[in-house]
Amino acid sequence: MQVVFAILIAGALVGLNAFLYIRNRQTPVPEGCENIKPDCAACGIGDCALRSKFLEMKEEENGDH
Amino acid sequence: MSEKKENKGGLLNRLLIENPVFGLYLGICSSLAITTNINNAIGMGIAVTVVLTLSNILVSAVRNYTPDDIHIPVYIVIIATLVTIVGMLIQAYTPSLYSALGAFIDLIVVNCIILGRAEAFASMNPIGPSVADGVSMGISYTLSIMAMSFIRQILGTGILSMSNPFTNAEIFSLRLIPEGFELPFFKEQFGAFITFACLAAACAAHKNHLEGASKKKGSK
Amino acid sequence: MNLFTLFISGMLINNIILSKFIGMCPFMGVSTKMESAVGMGLAVIFVVFCASVLSWGLYYGVLVPLHLEYMKLICFILLIAAFVQFVELFIKKNSPTLYKQLGIYLPLITTNCAVLYVALDNITQEYNLIETIVNSIGVPAGFMLMLCIFSTIRERLRGNDVPKAFEGNPIAFIIAAIMAIAFSSLSGLV
Repeated sequence: MQVVFAILIAGALVGLNAFLYIRNRQTPVPEGCENIKPDCAACGIGDCALRSKFLEMKEEENGDH
Repeated sequence: MSEKKENKGGLLNRLLIENPVFGLYLGICSSLAITTNINNAIGMGIAVTVVLTLSNILVSAVRNYTPDDIHIPVYIVIIATLVTIVGMLIQAYTPSLYSALGAFIDLIVVNCIILGRAEAFASMNPIGPSVADGVSMGISYTLSIMAMSFIRQILGTGILSMSNPFTNAEIFSLRLIPEGFELPFFKEQFGAFITFACLAAACAAHKNHLEGASKKKGSK
Repeated sequence: MNLFTLFISGMLINNIILSKFIGMCPFMGVSTKMESAVGMGLAVIFVVFCASVLSWGLYYGVLVPLHLEYMKLICFILLIAAFVQFVELFIKKNSPTLYKQLGIYLPLITTNCAVLYVALDNITQEYNLIETIVNSIGVPAGFMLMLCIFSTIRERLRGNDVPKAFEGNPIAFIIAAIMAIAFSSLSGLV
């Protein structure tokens, strides 16, 4: 019985996450804000998901130089 | 032949330049806090390797069935479940390690090595290469924090000792620096930061050296 | 426990970056501009406070009555991720100025050790609701203080002659070492 509750709670949280993530991606960024990026030198460090994209960007920049 | 040389360079490369701790700065929170002695470092390294390998296997197994939109919460659930299980095993079988590592076992969940490798590698490759990637990343992480804890323990207490985490029996204990000549600040926060900075600078210096050498070859 | 002692202890004495080594990643990457350090700091305070109180509520309201304490880690991390998504959604729709200040830092905070650590620590230390609130404001306030100090030091470091191997992150750790000594002198206060 406990296992059922555990799976239900985890499933509810995953569903909430998925719902909010999809809604978040669908709302457009407010005007004037499309191009701002967080102003930090190693922002790729902070978020694991952004990190690989950040490293690729850095490699491209280094390749261009 | 040159391919073999590249692979060998690749293995050493992995360890020094693409070092997850000192080269890519992943998982630095735990590597600063728990490296006061070698036992803790080995214990944490093994825990991270186990979680990383198992999560790579599971993520690689479900990669074709998860819709792209919800893949991040699904990976987080997989990793959090594995960390909870590993944490319970550590608490049951090695209670001294559990009390030494403290909250950092639970913080393996947000250790960027695991989620980063799941996102960058395991979600796009079959199970075999994912296992190899997980094991190799875990081993290089373990060796890095072992190096750091080696330095901190010897300079901080002067004694090199290891004990069996399952039974708390001491395996060996060597005094390398005479009593009264050790530097106790290496056990504190200051020593952790300084050791990390020097090791990271050593890896950066090696990387710069290699880049300088390859630029010279390129210009020739 | 004395609430003021709890606040000062969380903010200065057991500072989460210099004393417990948690939340180092944004600390290393902070820029030289004070505004972005303040923006990041305020975002962290807001997320840590709300996420910790919600996690406390989830733990004592749902998990403990159902004897599911072992689900703590999974539920907290999912709750934090969902909360950050919700806040970003809310800010995008309702306040562009706030989005410019705080919103861009929100995705960086999801996998930050600090948020999960504070949420778990409130449970481990068995704080009641008031103590949770005070702790969850004090600890990220200390985080923001360190970010601001660090950004000003980095500003002064620009243009100085740092050895090539130490450029970037290693010199940041040396700076953190010196700050750690300075703040460790407060440890006898409480």
